[in-house]
Amino acid sequence: MLKITNLHASVEGNSILKGINLEVKAGETHAIMGPNGSGKSTLVQVLAGHEDYEVDKGEVSYLGKDLLELDVNERACEGLFLAFQYPVELPGVNNTYFLKSALNAQRKYRGEPEIDAMEFMDLISDKIKLLNLKDSLLKRPVNEGFSGGEKKRNEIFQMAILKPKLALLDETDSGLDIDALRIVAGGVNAMKSKNNATIIVTHYQRLLNYIVPDFVHVLVDGKIINSGDKTLALELEEKGYDKIIMESKA
Amino acid sequence: MNVIDKFKADFENTLNRSEGLIKNIRSKAFEKFISGKFPTRKDEYWKYSDPSAILNLDLNFNDSGNFEDENYDIILCNGKIVKTLTELKTGTIADGLEKGYITKELFKEENNAFLNLNNAFAINGCYLILDSGGKKDIKVLNLIDNDGRNQAIYPKFVIISGKNSDSTIFEEIRVRGNGTNFVNSVTDIIIEDGANLEHIILDDFAKDTYNISNICVKQKKDSNFRSHNFSIGKKLARRDYNIELLGTGANCDLYGLYFVDGNNHIDHHTTVEHKKENCTSNEHYKGILSGKAVGVFNGRIHVHPKAQKTDAIQNNQNLLLTDDAIIHTKPELEIYADDVKCTHGATIGQLDEKALFYLRTRGLNQEKAQELLMRAYVGEIINHISNEEIRTEMMDIVLDRLPKGD
Repeated sequence: MLKITNLHASVEGNSILKGINLEVKAGETHAIMGPNGSGKSTLVQVLAGHEDYEVDKGEVSYLGKDLLELDVNERACEGLFLAFQYPVELPGVNNTYFLKSALNAQRKYRGEPEIDAMEFMDLISDKIKLLNLKDSLLKRPVNEGFSGGEKKRNEIFQMAILKPKLALLDETDSGLDIDALRIVAGGVNAMKSKNNATIIVTHYQRLLNYIVPDFVHVLVDGKIINSGDKTLALELEEKGYDKIIMESKA
Repeated sequence: MNVIDKFKADFENTLNRSEGLIKNIRSKAFEKFISGKFPTRKDEYWKYSDPSAILNLDLNFNDSGNFEDENYDIILCNGKIVKTLTELKTGTIADGLEKGYITKELFKEENNAFLNLNNAFAINGCYLILDSGGKKDIKVLNLIDNDGRNQAIYPKFVIISGKNSDSTIFEEIRVRGNGTNFVNSVTDIIIEDGANLEHIILDDFAKDTYNISNICVKQKKDSNFRSHNFSIGKKLARRDYNIELLGTGANCDLYGLYFVDGNNHIDHHTTVEHKKENCTSNEHYKGILSGKAVGVFNGRIHVHPKAQKTDAIQNNQNLLLTDDAIIHTKPELEIYADDVKCTHGATIGQLDEKALFYLRTRGLNQEKAQELLMRAYVGEIINHISNEEIRTEMMDIVLDRLPKGD
């Protein structure tokens, strides 16, 4: 589904990603862990298409297409979804109107007709229950005045509506209490299928108790220095990043 | 012949069309116009809009034009009533004076050249009396029709909201056809004790339009004025609001949205005179400028010594879509009472890049993402319109007319 080869990226001349190689197949869940400043968020921003990041070298193939050639919205329409670490507040933009516009933009791209109003309302009420969000949030502007936890749940709610093929979850666990964490993880797990894949970026092993990864990668200074199964995350939690870095250098 | 001489010739040629009270008023007003000073950019209030552009025009008074019947309750064509519903209390300014609906106090302006000039040409005009205790929704079309002339038009509209009346007036100013238009319009509004008036004004100007518009509002005790001003710039477009809060407990809400593109120009000078205690004013103006457009916003709040317990808010926000667009924004607070609450703010910015990126990651293209943010931006003003039908209509019109960033 996704194949990243020797990806180098920089922002304002500062090199951040220094040769990432990663392959994600349909049905898989990958976790990318690493200390602050290692380039985790940069990686997902580059994949989503943020223009502040310059791709200096490397290739990203996604569903047979050159991902780096696609516009931000085209990537989304091709099924790529980024759950933001810091979801953006959109004052005055009604949440329901926003969701409908986004969904219809994606349907149009795929050559499908606009969603029927009734069908849309059913979809929304179904997914809002899944994320245990209040109905009143639908009438409010996107993310405005939402609590930290509500914002994160709203990201996964959008994901449930848009049904992406590849979801990038950027620190989705940060700022969540244990109950909210369970709800978010439950939402993500409910969407898991053999046709889609998830990349979870996180500092902590905590989230991985609920969303169990098939692979864990350790990202340090712009490179993946170690990969393994879910036990690697437990090892990281136990030993800390420094020790893993030392061991990988040895 | 320069334009002042043209005004003089027009005035002399049309004076015998009036008689009685109005003739006297017109003569005095023209004397004041001639003896007073025509503003220049050296005047503080004309610093960013050049009125001398008008002096270079070749203009002739005109009050005849063509119109088609449309779904409006009142239609004025080139300043003259051409349609009015029989159940409405309307008529010309001269008629209003004769019947005593309008007093000559309304014409005593001394210092504003354009008010004096408009009064000097108060040949036709229209008054509208909203009966005490009544409730009315009225749509007015102020049509400027041009068959290729260089014409000077002087629309004058006087609205009197009777005690405890509750009304909405939607006024469209439409300038159409070819030729040059100097439209010097004045709307006088008097809101009696306890009356509510909501006034929505929408511009639709042909390209060679020079518009100077003055809206003068006198509010009595416990009255409410709610204004929604949707303006587009042209060669020179200026709309001033002069609000006088003359009775205790009066409140005004001034909402404005201006969108200008190309080489066009828009200027708003608003003044709220807090003359009595316990009055409130709330002003929120937003602008969207693109191309090489120039915008001016000057909001003045004047709190007189007697106006204790005043609560005044003013806010002006601007969105510049291009590097060459310019906005001059200035709040002016003059406060002579000590127990008052006044706040003001002005911002200038671009569309939020983070918000655009967020929207695009959800599948919306750049254009659609911008539209969504613009819709939100203008919605903050439009959503204050009470009448749902007008609100929806205004949203459609505004979205359709927004500058597209070129």
